[in-house]
Amino acid sequence: MELFVEFLKNTGYYLADIRYILMICVGILFCFLATAKKYEPLLLLPIGFGIIIGNIPFFKGFGLGIYENNSVLHYLYFGVTSGLYPSIVFLGLGAMTDFSSMLARPKLMLLGAAAQMGIYFTLLSAMALGFAPKEAASVAIIGGADGPTSIFLTAKLAPHLIGPIAIAAYSYMALIPIIQPPIMRLLTNRKERLIRMPDTERPISRKELLCFPVIGVILCCFLAPASIPLLGPFFFGNFMKESRVVDRLAKTASTSVIDTATIFLGFTVGASTQADVFLTVKSLGIFLLGSVAFSIATASGIIFAKIMNLFMKEKINPLLGAAGVSAVPGSAREVHLVGLKEDPGNYLLMHAMACNASGVIGSAICAGVLWSFMMR
Amino acid sequence: MLGLEAISAHNGWAMAVTGTIIVMGGLAILAFIISQLHKIIWLFEKRQQAPPHFVQPADNINILNDLEAAARMYKPLTANLGDSFHLAELYRVFEKEKLPHPHLTIRALRAAEYLEPLGEGVFRWKKNQH
Repeated sequence: MELFVEFLKNTGYYLADIRYILMICVGILFCFLATAKKYEPLLLLPIGFGIIIGNIPFFKGFGLGIYENNSVLHYLYFGVTSGLYPSIVFLGLGAMTDFSSMLARPKLMLLGAAAQMGIYFTLLSAMALGFAPKEAASVAIIGGADGPTSIFLTAKLAPHLIGPIAIAAYSYMALIPIIQPPIMRLLTNRKERLIRMPDTERPISRKELLCFPVIGVILCCFLAPASIPLLGPFFFGNFMKESRVVDRLAKTASTSVIDTATIFLGFTVGASTQADVFLTVKSLGIFLLGSVAFSIATASGIIFAKIMNLFMKEKINPLLGAAGVSAVPGSAREVHLVGLKEDPGNYLLMHAMACNASGVIGSAICAGVLWSFMMR
Repeated sequence: MLGLEAISAHNGWAMAVTGTIIVMGGLAILAFIISQLHKIIWLFEKRQQAPPHFVQPADNINILNDLEAAARMYKPLTANLGDSFHLAELYRVFEKEKLPHPHLTIRALRAAEYLEPLGEGVFRWKKNQH
């Protein structure tokens, strides 16, 4: 009988408290949103299930938890804390990205840069709210709306915040259809939303597509060497794709490799949200600042597009500025849909993808810059 | 420490301004380069372009009977070889362009002194030859 009682005391039912139940409910909500609503299922499903697993209470010292040495989860989590999974994800992203729309419309790259202003605004806000500089930089990178970049920088600067920052970044990426359209409508008038972009861009040659990743990696990584772990694999993946001589490798990078990394990244990030570590006032602050960062990033892109219109003969649809955040392709799709609502014949998708692609590069540069600032 | 005081203490203003300039500057330079990329590639290709492709003489023209015409037609092919060249190089060019009877043609051009010997197997086209 005593053995039975002891056993019961070691079960999750006995050890659970309201915090674990709450987090398990969050995990179930993520799974529900992924499966029933199809909100970013590739991200929310592994994260949601990871949250459920990570919040099953257990007797400490068994080597079971993600924060306990020698546990299986701990080994899998190493890919997150070392920055390995984000690099692999970037490799696959590069192999999937078609830069031709960006190469045909280079001026739209500036919108990708402008949207990174949200990062620096949030950096200041987080510092003002009492976050330590490294924590503030990790929170600020949420404004880039790039999950792997946020995880990478946080792993380097404030590993204890990976859980809340990753969850915040991915949540806001999933909530793009809810967060971005009101900001777009608030900052633009109907006349601006009706601006049509020219669809007669020059064709991009294979040589241009081939030269771009080489030029990109040299220019960006010389500028911010700390972004090599992200931009190096990213441009390498793209070079493999465009070279057309290693189709097998490019295909593997853009399918099996990135899928494997995404599974483990999402699952372990989810599992890292153990209630006792995750449910803190700091996490609430991170969520709050994350939403500010994401909103400011969206607004900066739109406002910058409007400023560009003051000087340009050929006007840009300011909605495109919202696609400057690097949530590929969610924000580009949303810009396209908002444009279509105003004018069913206004197709902004390819233009928005150009901003999106430059946003990915911009946020990775920002991560590198912040990392090097904080290492000083 | 909170508020503006915290930002100043952690050098936040400088970080934000410098970071903004770096990202904007970096992407602006990249945008400028890729906007010029097609022109650079075009220039590069133009420089690398070979001399106008040699037009094969029609089958019914007997090159060996009209060496002056043959020399006039074949001279542009050696533009890449420089003013003087070895006969072996000329032979390779003729073969590459799939000209008829390369060996015979070279021998005839040499015999008729359309190819001027410079010694040690090096030749050049006769100066008054157009």
